[in-house]
Amino acid sequence: MIVPFGDEALLVVLGEVIDAAVNQQAHAVARGVRAARDESWHSPWGVPVPSYASVLVPYDAASIDEAEATRRLTALVARTARTAQASVEIEGPVQDIAVRYGNADGPDLETVADRTGLTTDQVIEAHASTVYTVYLLGFVPGFAYLGILPPELELPRRNEPRLRVPRGSVGIAGRQTAVYPFETPGGWHLIGRSDAVLWDSRRESPSLLRAGQRVRFVPEPRA
Amino acid sequence: MLEVVDPGLLSTIQDAGRPWAADQGVPRGGACDPLALRVLEQLVGGPAGSTAALEITLAGPELAVRETCVIGLSGADLECEVTEERRPLRPGTTALVRAGTTLRFGAARDGCRAYLSLAGGIDVPLVLGSRSTCSVGGFGGIDGEGRPIRAGDLLRPMKPGALGLAGRRWPGRAGGSVGASGSTVVRVVAGPHLDRFPKGSLEGLRSNSWEVSGRSDRMGIRLDGSALPVPARPDLVSIPVTWGAVQVPPSGQPIVLLADHQTVGGYPIVAVVASVDRPVLGQLRAGDAVRFEVVEAVLARRLKIASDAIFDADAAMFRTDASDATAG
Repeated sequence: MIVPFGDEALLVVLGEVIDAAVNQQAHAVARGVRAARDESWHSPWGVPVPSYASVLVPYDAASIDEAEATRRLTALVARTARTAQASVEIEGPVQDIAVRYGNADGPDLETVADRTGLTTDQVIEAHASTVYTVYLLGFVPGFAYLGILPPELELPRRNEPRLRVPRGSVGIAGRQTAVYPFETPGGWHLIGRSDAVLWDSRRESPSLLRAGQRVRFVPEPRA
Repeated sequence: MLEVVDPGLLSTIQDAGRPWAADQGVPRGGACDPLALRVLEQLVGGPAGSTAALEITLAGPELAVRETCVIGLSGADLECEVTEERRPLRPGTTALVRAGTTLRFGAARDGCRAYLSLAGGIDVPLVLGSRSTCSVGGFGGIDGEGRPIRAGDLLRPMKPGALGLAGRRWPGRAGGSVGASGSTVVRVVAGPHLDRFPKGSLEGLRSNSWEVSGRSDRMGIRLDGSALPVPARPDLVSIPVTWGAVQVPPSGQPIVLLADHQTVGGYPIVAVVASVDRPVLGQLRAGDAVRFEVVEAVLARRLKIASDAIFDADAAMFRTDASDATAG
């Protein structure tokens, strides 16, 4: 389904769920729009922004109207759906991220263990034995929403968000996990911390992670 | 060259922002009044999109002129003055300011954001293709550090020798003025989640009168008024969002997203501000009264095209005047 989002963008809605297959469709649509942009100087499309199950596609409203943009994007999405199954090696290698779990680095590890009925070692084992996919980047630059968390670790967010979550903190909430690229406020349960630099605007590619990429957490020996 | 003596309330370097980096979680950023920025690009002879300006909010800074230079102003009239000469500088003009003098600002007369730039733009580094300050990411803007200006900072022009740019005047509107009365009509089109809302929500947005909350910032304008009805199931899977999206959180008090908005959001969106009205949106002050008018998307597009045509005509007239001045 394609719906207008203001007078300069369309929203491709692929579902209403946090689901791996639907999210891959969203990334495929975003890649399709990017490819169309790269193919032609006359392309009306702006840079697409994928989320869990939808993609925002800005267009140049001075050159085409909403009806024409919708018609062209509908055709582009249909082409993408046909070719998506054929493209295989889209995610690239798995990115390892080293994490120090627990203690001062993961102040909520004990609480998470209590509330899930697991031991802290079992929480770490569950978190670090899953290969995650970057569903989207958002919240702040380089913040990658990773899914899907093993069901035994699913918890709602903290009732009281922290005003300051230290840079590099590894958090979990709902079916998601993430590393905080900067010190920001945050409501997720913090189970560890990483020295990985999630964002460096001086790098050619500032974000360590990109949508669709696969990620694995590797526990560092505990002190 | 200018030196910051007192930074004022909040002044950040902005150009047209980074719309191409939203897929990395980077806020678009850029001038909250995009018309004012385009006018200033013309006035100071800088490149389209990447001319850096100082976005000055409500209470302006005190700036000491260290080397004689040309400054340009646009956006709201914050009563900029060359103190020693008691010379007022108006939005939509450029002026020569002499070493040893001081620039000060007064009251916000017709909006909350003034834009100041130097010949060719202010010289700060490009980061991810833009000079805009990204506060949350700590990059861009002055020294590339992602922070507001502070005392001791130096603002350098890209073209220090271009003193001939002084005395120019923009023939049209210098930005999205909201007037002295502070009562503003903002046009919106129906939002992507309208069908989730109870009947009457869009009508409520249209017929209620809203007041801009003091908790507004560059991320969004919070509005106070009678609460809008909200969807029964407010927990949406987050979608990418845009500048101008009118989000309705469970409180029923809308938030209109501005240039520094987060790239994705989970609140339902009842309407989206027509792109032609972004300049006015960027000038709303705390306490200002706002009404919304719902328009069809086709009309919103025509209004934007007409507004761009007026800008182009103003720019053509401005270039003719400028070349006459050079010839004379």
